[in-house]
Amino acid sequence: MGITLDWAGVLTGQPADWLLSGFLTTIYVTVAGSLLASVVAVILLGLRIAPGRIGRYAAGAFVEVFRNTPLLVQLLFWYFAAYGLLPQSWRFFIADDHRWAVLPVNVIVLAPEFLCATWGLGLFIAVFLAEELRAGLNAVSKGQAEAAMAQGLGHWQTLRFVLLPQALVNAWQPLVGQYLNLMKLSSLATGIGLAELTYQVRRIESYNAHALEAFAVGTVLYLGLGLAMGQLLLLFGPKRPGMKQPKAALATLGKVIAAPVPGGSHGV
Amino acid sequence: MGTLDAASEFDRGVPLVLQGVAGEPAIGASVPPAIEFRDIYKSYGSLQVLRGIDLKVAPGEVIAVCGPSGSGKSTLIRIINRLETISRGEILIDGVPTAAFKGRRLQELRTEIGFVFQQFNLYSHLNAEDNVSLALRKVRGVPREKAQARALALLDRVGLADKAKQYPAQLSGGQQQRVAIARALATDPKVVLFDEPTSALDPEMIGEVLHVMQELPKSGITMVVVTHEMSFAREIADWVVFIDEGVILERAKPADFFSAPVHPRTRRFLQQLLSPLSVA
Repeated sequence: MGITLDWAGVLTGQPADWLLSGFLTTIYVTVAGSLLASVVAVILLGLRIAPGRIGRYAAGAFVEVFRNTPLLVQLLFWYFAAYGLLPQSWRFFIADDHRWAVLPVNVIVLAPEFLCATWGLGLFIAVFLAEELRAGLNAVSKGQAEAAMAQGLGHWQTLRFVLLPQALVNAWQPLVGQYLNLMKLSSLATGIGLAELTYQVRRIESYNAHALEAFAVGTVLYLGLGLAMGQLLLLFGPKRPGMKQPKAALATLGKVIAAPVPGGSHGV
Repeated sequence: MGTLDAASEFDRGVPLVLQGVAGEPAIGASVPPAIEFRDIYKSYGSLQVLRGIDLKVAPGEVIAVCGPSGSGKSTLIRIINRLETISRGEILIDGVPTAAFKGRRLQELRTEIGFVFQQFNLYSHLNAEDNVSLALRKVRGVPREKAQARALALLDRVGLADKAKQYPAQLSGGQQQRVAIARALATDPKVVLFDEPTSALDPEMIGEVLHVMQELPKSGITMVVVTHEMSFAREIADWVVFIDEGVILERAKPADFFSAPVHPRTRRFLQQLLSPLSVA
C-alpha cells in the first residue's frame, strides 16, 4: 500500500501556528531551565566541596533523590502536588494577566505549566551538571590549588579564579550533553500540559490525523535545535587555551591507527 | 641528635652575598633570622618525616638543601609557607612564630614568601602575564593595569617579555619555570623557596632557569633551594644543608661541603650523585 504525505496539512494554517508556538515554547523552557540548572548546580557543587559536613550530606542526598527518580514523576509531582502548596496570593498572581510575561508568539511564561516544567527540568539537570563539574574539578591537578594557596589566594579565590575555570573546560563536553538532554527531556513536560513542541505535534495529529507528517516535522525541529544548540555551546564555551583542539589529536590518533602495522612507521 | 647548632656558625660573619650590597644593614644580633626552625617535628600518621630540625637562615642568604629522595627536604621548605603544618616545634619568619596564623594573616604571610614548584604549576587557563599578575590583583588588590605593567617588567627580568600572551601549554619547560619564578616574585617577597626547580626539566633547559635564579640574590632576596643541581649549590649557595631521614646531618659552606664532607652518609650521597655507576 502506498503512503501519501500531505505536508501542507502541517506546514500551513492552524497547524503551522501551533508548530511555531510549540517550537518557541520548547526553546523558552530550555533556556529558562538551563539557567536555573546552572545556578542550582553551582550551589550544589559549593555545598559538596565546602568544609561543612551538613551541607555536603544535604547536597549528596539531593543529588541522589533527583538522579534516581524518573523525571516524569518529578514533573507530575511539582505540577499536581507541590504547586498547590504555594501561597494562594502567589498562585493568583501567576494566574493574572501580565503583558510582560507574554513572549512571541503569544507564549505565556508566567503560567503554572511553564513554571513547573522549568523548575522540574532545572533541578533534574542541575544534579547532573553538578556531578560533571565535580568530576571536572577533580581532574584539575593538585599543584594548581597549591600554587594559588602559596600565592596567598584564599579558599574561595582559589576556587573562583583558578580551579573552576579549569574544571569548566574539563567538563564542558559532558556539560553540553546535559544541556542538550534538558532540551530533549522538555518533551516530557507535555505530560503536565505545557504546550511545547511535542504537545503541539500530538495536537495536530488529533486535529487532522497527519501523524506521520507532524511527527516528522517535530523530529526535524528537535534535531535542528539540538545541532544548533550543541554547536553554539561548543563555539562560545570555554576552551583549553594554547592547546591543539581535541579534533586534531583524534585525527592524529586516526592516522596512527590507519598506518600499516608491520612496518612500524611511526604513524605516517 | 645529629643536628648542628646553626646559630654559632651563623653569627660568625656577614653572609657573602650581602657584603657588597649598598644600603643593607650589617647582620647583627638585633636582626632576626629571615627563617628559623626550632626543633621541628613533622609526621604523617606513624611516618616521621622531620625529626628535630634546627636551622636559621639570615636575610639575604642562599641555602641549598640536598639529600636523598624521601629525606624530608620538600617538607622542610613547604613548612615555611605553611603548605604543610608542623607536628611539634616552632617556625619563625622574621622572628615571628607563624604556626597559629589563619585567614587573612596567613594569606599576607604567603604573599611575602614566593614558592617555585618542581612541576611549575602555572595556571594553565591563564597566559604568562596573567599568571604573574593574578595574586597582585586578587590578594594585594592592585589595579589591573598596574599589575600587568609589573608582570611585564618581571617577565622581562626573566627574559620572557615577548611571551607575555602565551599560555603555559605553548611554552617550553624552561620557559614555564622562568614564568613561575616571575610569578613568585610578583608580590615582592623577601623570601623565595624553590622545590627542585630544575628536576622536571630537560637537561638543555636547566641552564636558563639557573641563570635566572642566580640573579635573585643580588636584590637581597633570601632563597632556600631544594636541589640536586650541585653546580648551583657550589657556585651560588652561601650554605649547603644536607638532610637525611628527617635530620640535618650537615650544614657547611659549599667549598667545605664538597671537598670535605663530614658525615659518612653525606659522602655516600655525593658519591652517588657525582658518579652513579661506581656505587654498588
